Amino acid sequence: MAYKPQYGPGTSIVAENRRKQMNPGQKLEKVRSVTDEDIVLILGHRAPGSAYPSAHPPLAEQQEPDCPMRKIVKPTEGAQAGDRVRYIQFADSMFNAPSQPYQRTYTEMYRFRGIDPGTLSGRQIVECRERDLEKYSKELIETEMFDPALVGIRGATVHGHSLRLAEDGMMFDMLQRNVLGEDGIVKYVKNQIGEPLDRAVAVGKPMDQKWLKAHTTIYHSLVGTAYRDDTEYVEYVQRIHSLRTKYGFMPKEE
Amino acid sequence: MTNAAFPQVRIVPIRMLKPRTAERLLNMLAGIAGIRRMMIHGPGLPKKVPYGPARGSPNPHSDRRAIHVGDAEIALSIQVGEVILEVEDASVIEEIRSHCDGFFVEFPYRLQEGRFMKTAPTLVDYAKYGPDADTTLIGLADPRNGEGPVVIRKEQ
Repeated sequence: MAYKPQYGPGTSIVAENRRKQMNPGQKLEKVRSVTDEDIVLILGHRAPGSAYPSAHPPLAEQQEPDCPMRKIVKPTEGAQAGDRVRYIQFADSMFNAPSQPYQRTYTEMYRFRGIDPGTLSGRQIVECRERDLEKYSKELIETEMFDPALVGIRGATVHGHSLRLAEDGMMFDMLQRNVLGEDGIVKYVKNQIGEPLDRAVAVGKPMDQKWLKAHTTIYHSLVGTAYRDDTEYVEYVQRIHSLRTKYGFMPKEE
Repeated sequence: MTNAAFPQVRIVPIRMLKPRTAERLLNMLAGIAGIRRMMIHGPGLPKKVPYGPARGSPNPHSDRRAIHVGDAEIALSIQVGEVILEVEDASVIEEIRSHCDGFFVEFPYRLQEGRFMKTAPTLVDYAKYGPDADTTLIGLADPRNGEGPVVIRKEQ
């Protein structure tokens, strides 16, 4: 029988959302549209319209060693062109943000190629070749994995994911990269490392509480779905915990 | 510093306050008789980017601005997350509670009683203010940023 991944346990909506994001067979719902130029501005790695700086000559122009792996694995577009490796980093609020660091890494590993994600408690960074990065970033920002108020694109000074929200519902950001305008649309006024942009980049309206509760991948007993309510998930985690503890003692089968 | 004879309370709203709301809240509290000392607490909003590739460049932030409480001007350098108060006696706490119940209508808050202010000068306080420092002022301001507490005078 062919192996079919289950992606994760759980019967709650949170578990379902986690599986949905991870499963590359499921198309993520597109919620907003952001232009390519806007993505380049937020990332701040190169000026919009400029050529991609390269780290090495394109693969077609250089002699490659005779390697069976290179024959099997097709290089990504960015690797083929010899692009630099660049990054995007997200901070997700604990108040029902649509994604969270571990979830992002799992999702990206299932969906994207040629990436190097870094997972931390309050932020998640993904590094890859520049033109691949822009393509992936667009997908991460335009789909249901992003919320303008509760997800921050923050290259540095990420503090805020575990803090209370501001009065207007925005996650705390020491550098105030994104601001909620009077028209209700969130605009990025600085790039991800905090340098002011020449023009504000609109990323759409914050989603409402009902949508967030239905699309979040975070358990939260006060504002969302409680972890304890998902008995299947708890049972699974307890099983893993028990097994890894026992196998720390290297039991021998008689 | 904390004097055990005086009760302390902490106002913790469920949302972090914008400067305008913080100004209204503090002015409301300044009108209550019997509050000895007051401290606002929350995450900092630095004037310059503290770290990362843009370190040292200016950090414009709409919430870092001056507010007016009573006759005093306070330069906010934080996002107000909670207000810690030291009061004369327990009756003042009830007055604060009744005022806050009327104030926080759009989102809830909690009023907690306990010990929230410094009980002894730290090494940094000692290094900054010396051995003869005024103990009533210690703990009210961050000794490292060089700005002292603000005195709000009440009209007699």
